[in-house]
Amino acid sequence: MSSVLILNILWQISILAMVTIGLGIVFGQLKIMNMAHGELVMIGAYAPVITASLGLPAVLQVPVCIITVGIVALILERTIIRHLYGRPFDSLLATWGVSILLREIVELLFGRGYQSVSSPLPGTMSVLGTDYPAYRIVVIIGVFAFFAILIAWYRRSAIGTEIKAMVENCELAHACGINTSRLSSLCFVFGALTAGIAGMVLAPTIRIEPMMGLDYLIRSFFSLVVGGLGSVEGLMLGVGIIGGLQSALGAAFDQTYGYLGILLLSIFFLWLRPNGIYSSR
Amino acid sequence: MAFIVLVNAALLAVLLAIPFLFDSYIVYQIGLYLIYGIAAQGIGYLWGRIGILPLGQAMFFGLSAYATARILLHFDSLSLQLILLAGVMLVAGLTAFLFASVVFKGRSDSGPFFSLITLALVIISEQVAGTATAITGGFNGLSGYNTLAGIDQFGGLYLMIVGAVIFSTVVLMSFDRVPFGLVGRAMADNEQRLQLLGFPTHIIKGAAFAVSAVFAALAGILFANHQGIVTPTSTGFLLSANLVIWTAVGGRYHVLGPLLGAVLIGYLSSELRDSFQYWEVLLAILFIVVVLKAPGGLGELVDKSVSRLLVTKKATAKRVFHDAPPGRIGNWQSAVQFNDVHVKIGPVKILNGVQFTTFPKGILCIIGPNGAGKTSLFNAITGGLRVSRGEINVDGKSISNRSPHQALRSGIGRKLQVPSVFHSLRVWENLCLSMLAGRGRIPDYFKPSSFHWQSRALQQFLSVPHIPLADRSDELVSSLAQGHRQFLEFAMTIAAEPRILLLDEPCAGLSTDETQLMTRVIKQYQTANDGLIVLIEHDMSIVKSIADQVLVLHQGKVLANGTYDEIKSNDSVRDVYAGGTK
Repeated sequence: MSSVLILNILWQISILAMVTIGLGIVFGQLKIMNMAHGELVMIGAYAPVITASLGLPAVLQVPVCIITVGIVALILERTIIRHLYGRPFDSLLATWGVSILLREIVELLFGRGYQSVSSPLPGTMSVLGTDYPAYRIVVIIGVFAFFAILIAWYRRSAIGTEIKAMVENCELAHACGINTSRLSSLCFVFGALTAGIAGMVLAPTIRIEPMMGLDYLIRSFFSLVVGGLGSVEGLMLGVGIIGGLQSALGAAFDQTYGYLGILLLSIFFLWLRPNGIYSSR
Repeated sequence: MAFIVLVNAALLAVLLAIPFLFDSYIVYQIGLYLIYGIAAQGIGYLWGRIGILPLGQAMFFGLSAYATARILLHFDSLSLQLILLAGVMLVAGLTAFLFASVVFKGRSDSGPFFSLITLALVIISEQVAGTATAITGGFNGLSGYNTLAGIDQFGGLYLMIVGAVIFSTVVLMSFDRVPFGLVGRAMADNEQRLQLLGFPTHIIKGAAFAVSAVFAALAGILFANHQGIVTPTSTGFLLSANLVIWTAVGGRYHVLGPLLGAVLIGYLSSELRDSFQYWEVLLAILFIVVVLKAPGGLGELVDKSVSRLLVTKKATAKRVFHDAPPGRIGNWQSAVQFNDVHVKIGPVKILNGVQFTTFPKGILCIIGPNGAGKTSLFNAITGGLRVSRGEINVDGKSISNRSPHQALRSGIGRKLQVPSVFHSLRVWENLCLSMLAGRGRIPDYFKPSSFHWQSRALQQFLSVPHIPLADRSDELVSSLAQGHRQFLEFAMTIAAEPRILLLDEPCAGLSTDETQLMTRVIKQYQTANDGLIVLIEHDMSIVKSIADQVLVLHQGKVLANGTYDEIKSNDSVRDVYAGGTK
């Protein structure tokens, strides 16, 4: 295996992990199957485009991304998601509608065509004996650092405990004085923001278009299927397997085979290990 | 029957009037949306009746359209073409059946995963269609073939489409009037109960998915003839998404709803998409509103206003019953043998080596403090819990770690702790499902006469005075009191005449009179059936009145067994109940 392939796989895995964590939080903790998760990635990816069209300097794309995705997520939570906590099937339907709506709005604003943005960190770095885009290296390191901090924080902080209590028994947590409705919306917005940031980070390396979100939704869902819900270990394992398999098959044959590979693997898992590798129970 | 004929005659009249009212281009367009409507009817059936939402139905539609184009390109003989096209529908149905029954095996929900996998499938089929140029012609698509029997795309083909629409409508409406449709509605309501009644729900879901796939395939075949070209978009994500939107807005609970949605919304879309730029956004908002506020869609609206216009008297006909065919429960010896049974959930040990053999006939009561593993023992028997070590045998055969639906086949019926019945169905429909359990063969599910089955055990039960079900058969179960649901579930469990009857606290929530009635019918069933009844009970007075033998469970093990008096004087049992930790 060449070192470029290894780095490519690492890149795919870290992006996928960043997308999947949000879907996992919202699905695992709030029992909301957010079909619009991919569209939040897509909106995040448009953040640099929005920044440019507003005439703002490129540095501001991070706050622009957070504000845009945050507002969209907050509106969604207040108007739609709020009524659907704990109802995975109904949430699937409603967010499916939301995903269509978001795509159509973005298409209306920016057109159906491809957009591209330039990398904030052009140039390459020499890693593992090959030259690799410096931007991707930074992102890989950044994502892993983010996960390390998130895990440490979730284990120690009071909010982490409150979330666990809410997931375990929402009514009791509410009775114990935890503001579950604020906590839920916090969870949802946080999940959305991670998706948005994943999209923004991804933006310089892909063609940005309104339909791009679907692909990320499916791959991150498959990662959850394979890895199992409810633990970061499971998530990383799932992301590793799905991201790795797709990149490897994609490199060896072509993208369609990579896609077919992960699809078959996921069906196989649903059939034989419906709770994934790392099931929470 | 008369209703189906009436509705379809009206539908036929409307559809046949269209060519006389509009010019040929509009008729052509309406034909296209009627084709989509057939596929949407398949989605409506699967989503509204069974509770499964397929997001990738265009896959069956598009792949069938490709296959049709290929068949029309390569074969000239009409009979051969027709045979091959029938084969296309068959293949679509079989594939769908296999796929869904594999994915749903071992599950008792229709969670979001199935929808997402179908979504992935349609995306991948669009990709494959775009890249496998040798077979599909790539992005240019397949064209240059003649229509089936040289039918005129702007003339005769419309009649063919109308025929197909009537066909799909008649089939789907008939499903509502035979037990097959009832089983589908029961599945959307309470899959666990259906499994305990011995229905292999993954097979039923497979069959339902196959039905919807066949409709999509039929639509695809017509589409290829109608358009004269098949491109990757016909098997794509956008078409799938539109089909779901049309179904939702048109109304998924009504057979004609999706058809209405497809023609109305589809036609409006094609008119407005280019002139009114906010149309797609508006449609997405409409979809969200329908999903959240009006799940019945346009179909329900129309249905309600029609029934308001035509006030019909509800005739409650006297139900006639005839003897149900004999059950297919084998002549199993009914003693249950627990051989060192261990059950773990995660790190928690639930059962720690239960070692016991019941008698083959009589009433065995299981008692024990909360958390002793009583209900888990039942779960291990019916297959809801994995036995990690040891095994459970009936008649010398291991029955542990099977699917719940296999329990009834070896003569085991089970009543759950919290009454598990079909809340959205009527009492007689609940009883009817339990009559089909273990008796119905596939053809029976498509005959209305199977609705009238009644077994000896059920007849005997219903004729007991004061049973609170006999005069409520037309009521919805959701309006029954909790105690009455206990009797209903008991009736449903014994209807199949199991040799081994597992009852989990059947008297919970019953009044004193009702408790007496319940113990009487339990005894009566045992006498008539001469089998084994295992009963979990906390109330010692009930245990005393009913038990031939008592088994005490404590911390996942057998603590003691014997007659009521032996148990009552057993020191270790007293210790446990008096708060000791032994």
